[in-house]
Amino acid sequence: MAESPSMLEMLTEHIDLARRLRKLQIHFYPERCKGVWQCYEVCPVGCWRPDYEKRVVTFESGERCIACGACVLQCPEKAIELKVPND
Amino acid sequence: MATVFMKWLETQPEKYDRGIQLLTLGKLHKLQDRLVRCLVQQGMRVLEIGCGTGALTVAMAAKGAEVVGIDLDAGMLAQAENRLAASGLDDGVVLEHMDAVLIVERFDPGSFDLIVSSLAFSELSRDAQAYVLSACRSLLAPGGRLAILDETSPPGWIARIAVAMVHIPLRFITWLLTRTTTHPLRNFQGMLERVGFRAGIIDSEWMGSLCLFLAEPKLDDGAQPLPISFKGRLRHRLSLRTLLVDLWAVFFRIIPPYPKVQPGLYAIGQPTPDSPVLLTGNFDLTVRRLVKAIDSKLHAWLLVVDSGGINVWCAAGGGFLTAERIIGALSTSRLDEVVNHRALILPQLCANGVDGWLIRKQTTWGVHWGPVRALDLPAYIQSGRKKTDDMRQVRFPLRDRLEMLAATMGFYALLILIPVMLIWPSSFWPLLAAMLGLSLFYTITLPWLPGQDGLAKSLPLTLIALVGMLLYSWYVQSTALADIFNRVVGLTGLSVFVGAELQGMSPRMRGEQANWGWEAIIAVLLGLAYWLIPRLMGWR
Repeated sequence: MAESPSMLEMLTEHIDLARRLRKLQIHFYPERCKGVWQCYEVCPVGCWRPDYEKRVVTFESGERCIACGACVLQCPEKAIELKVPND
Repeated sequence: MATVFMKWLETQPEKYDRGIQLLTLGKLHKLQDRLVRCLVQQGMRVLEIGCGTGALTVAMAAKGAEVVGIDLDAGMLAQAENRLAASGLDDGVVLEHMDAVLIVERFDPGSFDLIVSSLAFSELSRDAQAYVLSACRSLLAPGGRLAILDETSPPGWIARIAVAMVHIPLRFITWLLTRTTTHPLRNFQGMLERVGFRAGIIDSEWMGSLCLFLAEPKLDDGAQPLPISFKGRLRHRLSLRTLLVDLWAVFFRIIPPYPKVQPGLYAIGQPTPDSPVLLTGNFDLTVRRLVKAIDSKLHAWLLVVDSGGINVWCAAGGGFLTAERIIGALSTSRLDEVVNHRALILPQLCANGVDGWLIRKQTTWGVHWGPVRALDLPAYIQSGRKKTDDMRQVRFPLRDRLEMLAATMGFYALLILIPVMLIWPSSFWPLLAAMLGLSLFYTITLPWLPGQDGLAKSLPLTLIALVGMLLYSWYVQSTALADIFNRVVGLTGLSVFVGAELQGMSPRMRGEQANWGWEAIIAVLLGLAYWLIPRLMGWR
């Protein structure tokens, strides 16, 4: 029993996770964007807006973002990251 | 057949043959005899799948056939070797210790004139049965035939009941003793037809529960045989079964096993090689909603991938529906033989866990993210996979919210209200009213409540509930302070619980399922307050 984490440890770990999840923010590196628009394709809350002339996307709304990570996973250029600021 | 006895016999190879003959009252022997007499000829190349102790093997060798016998059980094979040596027929016979699913790798195409199997297919899973059958088809030389003698689930309900009356108690005892069971073949003729044989039952015993099937490959008439994972056509229909499954899903939604659909390739409508290919997880409700949305509007292929019976969003987020699983399903379904294009439409809501680029790199398939809602699929496909902004965003309209309320609260109402009704009948109605009122209010006003996740949104809910309760208690009821305090604690707990519980309803709110830590803290604080404050105030 000694090796397994105690209830308190699990609780604090989980609360830390919840806190971080709440603070997660999209970091977008527009210089890496090649206009594949997969992020726009998969975002369920409409955070991304394609710019068809410049062949890039713009990140529109951090407020709506639910931090699901779909855009991060589908971006072939690794132009999107999801992280907690100052972490 | 007495299954216990059979399982025991399998562990006792030397007693197996006499036991089997005794058990089937010689019927098995009679059918095997007929098989050898009618089908085996001098010089034939024969593969016997599951040769066991070699009774049939020897009989076929005695007629001058060149027999290859395979079996997974080394003990049985040793018995077969003894028997062959004793009969002096071991020249024309090769015995191999191997699994039936490996025959394609082991033998060359077209190397047998006859493939036989006696009581072996009922030991394989249904998918393995189909796989081995299609392997047999490729191993048969032109004009070759397949003869299978096995336990079957008989056609007709009277026969089925009669056989079941004997089988069920025996099966139960077998299961208790060995934790295993056999699978009498079901609709085996249909399976033979599907993998590309023309098949019939040429003899049967015991009301059709022991059958001899004979099959020959259908000649290629240009039509491709459907792949082995093809599971049939899905249609939208409501029945008592779907109703019961849904009720189960509502009340026990957090308790596995979730209602599942067997993974594999399905047809919706009458798809052709040009029809679109859709993919989804194997949660029963997901598949049925999808079929309901497109049946009679579209003809399509549907590849159902094992997602552990979980919806695509949660399965992808939790690592149950992955690119690797989809790549596996694409190859085992042999979808590329069915359609003449390479456009795979994935549900948009699995993009949080399914790496689209991995699928594109490792297969020849192109990945297209379909709409969020299955209802939009016909419009999406008919417009040439053009997705409007409306199709790509999750909305959570009132109708969906009310539906989720019913699904969520059904379970908790049972969990909380039934014990309350039994233990504190007086608080049943107030609690029911509070629970219903709070969750209904929350559900309706959700989009306008401040905050981004369910827990934050439950705080204004708590405030409103408390103010309402205080006003009522003070001005209408003039309740004692101690009772008001109890109500404050109860309502706060309930509001937080309702809010936190309802937040995971839709992929629109952040932080779902990461809040139980906060819930636990709030519960502990409320519990402490409930214990401490009345003592400090001298109410108790």
